[in-house]
Parts: sequence; C-alpha cells; structure tokens
Amino acid sequence: MELFAMFIASVIVYGIPLLYGTVGEIITEKSGSLNLGVEGIMAVGAIIGYLVGSKADSMFVAMLFAFLAAAFMGLIFAVLTVTLKANQNVTGLTITTFGLGFYFFIGKAVGSDWKLLGGNLKEAYANIDIPLLSKIPYVGDMFFSHNIFVYLGIIIAIVVFIYLFKTKAGLKTRAIGENPAAADAAGINVNLYKYLNIIIGAGIMGLGGLAMGLKMDGSFEGSNCWINGYGWIAIALVIFAKWNPLIAIAGTFVFGFFNSLQVYSGSFATSYPNAFGWLASIPTEFYKALPFIITALVLIISSIRKKKVPDEPTAMGLNYYREDR
Amino acid sequence: MTKQVDYSLKHRSEPLFRVSKRNGLEKWKIALLYVGAILVALTFGAILLLCLKVNPFKFYLDTFTLGLIGNAIPLKIISNFINSFVPLLITSLGLSLAFKMKFWNIGGEGQFIIGALVAASIGIGLGDKVNGFFLVILMCLLGGASAGIYGLITAVFKVKFGTNETLLTLMFNYIALYLLIFFGQTKAGWNILLDPNSDRPMFVQIPEAAKMWSFSVGGLTINTTLIIGIAIVVLLFFYYKKTKQGYEIAVVGDSHNTAKYAGMNVSKIILRTVFLSAFIVGLAGAFKVASSSFRLSEAITDDVGWTGIVVAWLAQLNPFGILLVSFLLAVLQFGITSSSASYSNLDANFADLLQGIILFVVLAVHFLINYKIVVNKTKINAKKMAELKAKGFEIIDLTISKNDKKSEIVSDESTALENSEVSEKTEALKITDAEGGNE
Repeated sequence: MELFAMFIASVIVYGIPLLYGTVGEIITEKSGSLNLGVEGIMAVGAIIGYLVGSKADSMFVAMLFAFLAAAFMGLIFAVLTVTLKANQNVTGLTITTFGLGFYFFIGKAVGSDWKLLGGNLKEAYANIDIPLLSKIPYVGDMFFSHNIFVYLGIIIAIVVFIYLFKTKAGLKTRAIGENPAAADAAGINVNLYKYLNIIIGAGIMGLGGLAMGLKMDGSFEGSNCWINGYGWIAIALVIFAKWNPLIAIAGTFVFGFFNSLQVYSGSFATSYPNAFGWLASIPTEFYKALPFIITALVLIISSIRKKKVPDEPTAMGLNYYREDR
Repeated sequence: MTKQVDYSLKHRSEPLFRVSKRNGLEKWKIALLYVGAILVALTFGAILLLCLKVNPFKFYLDTFTLGLIGNAIPLKIISNFINSFVPLLITSLGLSLAFKMKFWNIGGEGQFIIGALVAASIGIGLGDKVNGFFLVILMCLLGGASAGIYGLITAVFKVKFGTNETLLTLMFNYIALYLLIFFGQTKAGWNILLDPNSDRPMFVQIPEAAKMWSFSVGGLTINTTLIIGIAIVVLLFFYYKKTKQGYEIAVVGDSHNTAKYAGMNVSKIILRTVFLSAFIVGLAGAFKVASSSFRLSEAITDDVGWTGIVVAWLAQLNPFGILLVSFLLAVLQFGITSSSASYSNLDANFADLLQGIILFVVLAVHFLINYKIVVNKTKINAKKMAELKAKGFEIIDLTISKNDKKSEIVSDESTALENSEVSEKTEALKITDAEGGNE
C-alpha cells in the first residue's frame, strides 16, 4: 500500500509540469496558432525563473520571471507569425532550437557559481498539506499533500477553461481559431487577440518549466535539459485532451501514470510478483512511447469520426492575412 | 460657386499603415537583405560572447574556418565535416518535396531513424551472406523504402480522413525514437543490433561488407554519399521544372481544387510525393549508418529531421538553395563544435542559440522580401485639408452626396491647391486615394 501511495504521488508530481505546457498550448492553439516551441519556451522560463528566483531568494520572483521570460519567447513567436507572417511550424521549431541553446548557454556561463535549490525557494517548494483532507490515511498523502505547483496548475487549468468557454473574450478567441476572416468581419481585433493568447499561453508554459527545474532540485547538468521532452508530450496531450483544459487535468495524470510506471514497474513486479510480475516483461521504452502512440490513435480516430464541430481549431497553423482572398 | 473637395468616409477611416504583397524584389536586394540579416545575428552573438569575455573575432574565425587553421589533420576534419553535412542536405531535400505540396511532413526525425534502423539490421543480418556491392544497395533501398512506408501511413490518413499531418508525423517521430531506444537497450538473443561481446547494451558496428564505398582525392577521403546528395539536388531541380509529376506537385501545393478541376488525382499525387519525400529522408538515415557512423546510436539523427525543416523553408524549397543553406548551417554547427572546445564556459549548444537568432532575423527579412508596408497618407493630410478650407473649398463626401457628374477629377490635393488658383469654375474636386502604388 505504501508503494501505491508513493506511486500515485509521483504520478501527480511528475505529471503536473505537463499540465502547464498543455494549458498554455491550448490557449495558443485555440487562437489559431500552432506553437511547436513549447520545449524551448519551457526551458527559457525554467532557467531564467530559477536563476532570478534563487538570486532573490523568493518563489514569487521565480514564478514571475519564469512567466515573463517565457512570455517574451511567446512575443517573439507572435511578432514573427502574426505580424511578419512567418511559417508557424518553422518559427516554433526555431523557438525550440533557440530556447534549448539559450538554456545551455546560460547554464554554462554561470558555471561553478550555480546554486542548488535552497533557502526560501526550497521552503516554498515543500509540500503543502491541505487541512483535514491531508490527514486521511493514504488518500491524504496521495492527493492532498503536494507542492504549490500542483495546486496552482489545477487552478490555472480551471481558470483557462472558464476563460475559453464561459467568457466573451474566450468566445472571440475561439472564433479566431475557427475562422479568422469571419471574426475579423465581425469586428474582432484578430491580431490583438492572437498576440494576447500566444503570450499568456507561453507564460503559463514557463511556469511548468520552472516546476520541472525545481523538481530536479535545480541541478544543472551539462548534457540533459530539465524539460527533457516534456514540451513535446504537452503538444501530444493537447490533442488527447481535445483542446479542453479540464480534460487536460485528467490527461496529465494519465500521461504521468505511464511516466511513473517506467520508474515503478520494477518495484511493483518484485513486491507483488503474482499480481504485477508481468510488468517486468514490458520494456520501459514502451511506456515512453505510449503517450505518443495513444495521441496518434486519438488523432486518427477523431478524424475518422468527423464530428460536426471538430475539437481541433479549424484555422490552426494557418496565418491570417486580411488581403488574401 | 462654392468649390468642393471630396473627402469620403472611407478615406478617413483607413489605418495609418497597412501591409500589402510585393511582386518580387530585385535579386541583389534580396541577397543584400540576407547578408544584412546574418550580420545582425552574428553581431548579437558577438555581444553574448563578449559577455563571457570570449573574443568574438577569434571565435568566429575559428568557427567559419572549421578549426582548420593550425590543425595537424586538416583532411580528416574536412571529411568529418562532409559526414555531418550530407545527412542534413539529403534530409532537407527529402522534406522539401512534401512541403512543396504544403504537406507538413515534420516526421523527418522518425523517417531518418527508420531508414537507419532497417539499413543497420540488413547490414548486420546479411553481412556475411550477400556480396558487398549488393548489400549496400539493398540496405539503402530497403532503408529508404521502409521510411517511405512509414511516411506513407501518415499520408494515407491525411488523404482518407483529413487527419492533421503536422501533428501525426510529430507523434510518429517519437514512436520511431523509442523503438530505436528499445532496440538499443534490450539485450536478447534475437537482437542482432547489439554487440554480443559487451556486457552493457551497446549497438554493434556494421560488418566491413556493409560499408559504403568511399574514394580518395589527393589524400582527402570523400564519401560517395556526397556525390549522391549533389546528384539529388540536380535531379530534384529537373523533377520540379521539367517533369509532369513535378508540375502536379506545384499545382496541388497551390490549390487542391485547381488540381481536381484540371483532372489530377490529388490523393494519388499526395501519396506518391510523401512516399518519395520520406524515402529520401530514410535514404539519408541509411547513408549515415553505411557511410559515417557505421553503427546505430540513440542520437543518430543529430537533429537533422528538425534542422532540415528549417533549411528547406529558408531555401524556399529550391534545391540549390537547400544546398547552400544546409552547407552554411552545417558549417555553423560543425565550426562551433570545434571552436567552443577551447572554452570552459561555452559549448557546442551555442550553435543552437546562434542558429536560433539567425533564423529569427532571417524570418523577419522574409517578410520584407514578400510584403511591403504601405503608409496611408490620407491621415497626414489633415493639415492640407485645413489649407483647402482656408482657400474656400467645401469639404464634401462624394460617397454620400453623389454629385460628381460634372466634377473634374484631380489626382491629389496638391494639384487641387494649384488648380484653385487657376480655375475658379471647378465645382468639385475629388481626392483620390493618396497611395495607390500597389494597385
């Protein structure tokens, strides 16, 4: 039972950075932009947020700068694709290349002055027990005793859901993602909305990057980036979640489940050979590939079913140029 | 009689500036813009280097000479450079085929991996059974064909159900990657890809017979794949310009409907072209195993599947452009790997940073090449309006009053001012749109 509680807690902690990346990308895609730069944006947000935050010794500062640095990357994406009409795929990939290059450049430049997680930052990252609920045996440890990013991530996902589906601004955003020309004709400022959604979406991704950095105790390794492919999984998760932030919360834990299974499948197999012995025979690479396999299947199945109102924003990935007729 | 000037509502409500398409810019101006963009980006890079107390001139000199200056084994370095340049060149060429149709094949990484995986399996599995010449050809053809089929799967769903190919090919990249890692980590009797003599899992080298031929020019070992890569450049150029299939690709890329009305089988064209695109990418993977790395590795792609997308796009899908751009990016990456080696606070990842900056600036320059910014002078003319009023003109709105039957059309308000002194008979003057350069 102890093992299960640890496993579920790990699913949540490892899954949560995905939620930020996913929710950020949902806002971006709903406004009609496909930003493939999630990995790079998370990396920039993570390293700037962590460094400034640990210098200032404050979690608030860390979060603020993670958000701002990532939002700045979003601004670059918006300027290039919305105003300068550069191809979104190419720009997104460039953001990723740049972001990872920037991450290692800064890390190398700081060199031996690098500080591991400590001080107020470490304190603020500690698990917060929710009164009463966290006292429930096992369940409390699993669900109600987590670090601040877990709670914040879920709150952000809910707020974004309300914004997208229950407010006028959200309606306008979705209209732009479906048909920018019609939205323009209806008097919506297409470019303004695209800018805002891309920038805020990128900022949210940056917070997820920071969460990953803190998870690694802020230890910089010259060869591996903190983000470690999570940005790409987040892009997959957007599809799995059908562009809905609430489903994304559940999806985060599904993907986190596979992720943690890589680590825990061995322990399960040895602790419970009768029930879970078969887990040892499944290669761990399978769990890593599973999010992408499932997402590919979801993509294919939903395109076969052809719903009347597709989940995927119709104009996603296409630049809008008013004079193109 | 009162003198009138038309100042319709539509003139007044126009924004201060707007963007319009440009119909081509002189070649030398385009070249100048690109060179300027690269210089701007390198200056940014130089500022970053100065922050690290690295001399940018020395750094760039070492980078762009590939670290050849003062090197004891320059020929070896050149052939290493060729080995890192060819995969990028061929991958970019392959991807450009699909992009030409606006099919967003971003699955280059996966297709490259499948090509390499199949080629290595054949090389190792049949190494002692098949004659060397046929073995290499078999590796390349089957490697390419498997990658082609891997790409074709995504195209089938695109054609049949309209599945988003950007996202689907993206997912396929990771499925292929973890398949490769699975083969690299799983020690088992059936897994011929691993070295049987090593305790920990390690990819085995391909047998001598499976190695691609290379030849020597004055001591410099030149990989045959370089020749094939350049041949593909030329072949693709003629394929686009001179063949029916190339023409079909261009039409489908322009508009599916146009192609349909012209009686083309759009689905067939997409399937054929995506197969060819993925085939060439897979060929690059097979070449990599057969000609330079001689063994698989988890990082076998060197990210060429990603970089290739950028190369193809920057070269505007022109095969010769791809040759140039992939060469420049390969120089940048290879050069920085060698020039950064002598600094402790810098590593090869600086290449990614610099490449990112260069691309940002170049993407911005693309905008200047394809579009122009038109400033509407109407707004600025508020002053002139006051001037006209002072001269006794009545400001009217022709779109409302429609009394322009007898009006004399005057091209702009400055002429109106001149005319006002000459002809007193003018009943109405029409101010045409101040800027009409693009019409």
